[in-house]
Amino acid sequence: MTHLPYIVAAYGLTLGVAAILSVNATLRLRQARKRLAAIEQPRTRQPS
Amino acid sequence: MTRKSRRLWLVVACMIGLGSAAALTLNAFSSNIVFFMAPSQVHSKPPPADRTIRLGGMVVAGSVRQEKVKDAPVAIFDVTDGQAAVTVRYEGILPDLFREGQSVVAVGTVNPDGTFRASEVLAKHDETYMPKEVAEELRRSGKWDPRFGKAPDAASWNTMTAADNAKKPATQTP
Amino acid sequence: MNATQSLTARTGNLFHRYANPGRFLRMGAKLQPWLTWPALVLSVAGIVWGLFFSPADWQQGDSVRIMYVHVPTAWLASSGYMGLAVCSLLSLVWRHPLADLAAVEIGPVGAAITAVCLATGSLWGKPMWGTWWVWDARLTSVLVLFFLYLGHIALIRAFDEPQRGYRAAAILGLAGAVDLPIIKFSVQWWNTLHQPDSITVTGAPTMSTSMLWPLGLTTLGFTLGFAAIVLARLRASVMESRVRTILAANRGRQSAAPQPDRATP
Repeated sequence: MTHLPYIVAAYGLTLGVAAILSVNATLRLRQARKRLAAIEQPRTRQPS
Repeated sequence: MTRKSRRLWLVVACMIGLGSAAALTLNAFSSNIVFFMAPSQVHSKPPPADRTIRLGGMVVAGSVRQEKVKDAPVAIFDVTDGQAAVTVRYEGILPDLFREGQSVVAVGTVNPDGTFRASEVLAKHDETYMPKEVAEELRRSGKWDPRFGKAPDAASWNTMTAADNAKKPATQTP
Repeated sequence: MNATQSLTARTGNLFHRYANPGRFLRMGAKLQPWLTWPALVLSVAGIVWGLFFSPADWQQGDSVRIMYVHVPTAWLASSGYMGLAVCSLLSLVWRHPLADLAAVEIGPVGAAITAVCLATGSLWGKPMWGTWWVWDARLTSVLVLFFLYLGHIALIRAFDEPQRGYRAAAILGLAGAVDLPIIKFSVQWWNTLHQPDSITVTGAPTMSTSMLWPLGLTTLGFTLGFAAIVLARLRASVMESRVRTILAANRGRQSAAPQPDRATP
């Protein structure tokens, strides 16, 4: 392939940023879900 | 009129105002926003000799001469917009895409004799994306010469890829 | 005026149906896999096709393969901002709470995508045009878009009282939408180093179908991926705000609780 370094850099950069965004979103969602579950359970039990 | 629709009309009015302001500004500065001057513009209104301008146009087929001055490559070629041509002299390595018939943008100054002294040459490729084999096939069959103008419509060669690949083994085997 | 009044009210009702956080979380959880998995499959297929199975270009050679990541990110940079502008409108006119949260989440993702678009463009420009960067109308207007994203990110988080940040950022988001048509038409209105669009709404594409296919796959894949990431962040954001509300309510109840407790026995 001609200009291989440029092609590799462009694809690497795109995939790298995509990976960072997805991992960050996944971790944040998981943590938020865990925190919400921990807080909501005792509250739903209380009224009964 | 509820508060919501009042807010909506306010937003619409602001956007129209902002949009027309932007349009008027861009229109007023249009000549500064253009990236390069065409050779005919350089001919009709030659810029002062000390001012760096960008000259854009097509490299005239058959006009490219490569020389060596003290081991430095020098390229001399004509750039045209179809109405006028300017001779460009450039010391340095030309970009990969540089060829006859290619659009280029040269950065530099206009000499008193009307020729252009470039300090940088950028290649401008057009929006045609075509497989290499198709381009070669078109050139071989005489349907298109990249040195003299734009590629034909994509619809005319899109089917060539598959059809030629199917034809090739048959013509090569005998 | 009567017609517009009912129209604004009806539009508001339509969007407010999804403002209920519980309903949004249920719908979001259902929608998420339908965005995530097609996004992954289509992107991987498009990238593999573009890198290894699509033909080299007649004038650009293999560098044309950068197109399969550059063009989708460029399209997403603009359409992501379009989403931001729609959220801004919903926020300003209808005071939609979910639109504010969405605007907070779209900003960083859009900015990252715009940065990728600028960087891959640079990596494509160097070998082809012979320069990393030029100040032509297309490149400059996309750089302005990047700064608009950055400004929006900073503004929406700049106030102690979130509502004021939402309002200010929504105004910036709408005003910045003026840049979108400039980006789109910059290559037609002015002469630029950047080439005109190969794919337009009106004309036939000036691109071989063998290159159009992988480009279509990556564009669809990246767009779904953008939506999936924004949705995941938005769901997390709604959950986080719910946690905050519950904590605040608990604190309020604890401080208010002692008096009735003492009264009951």
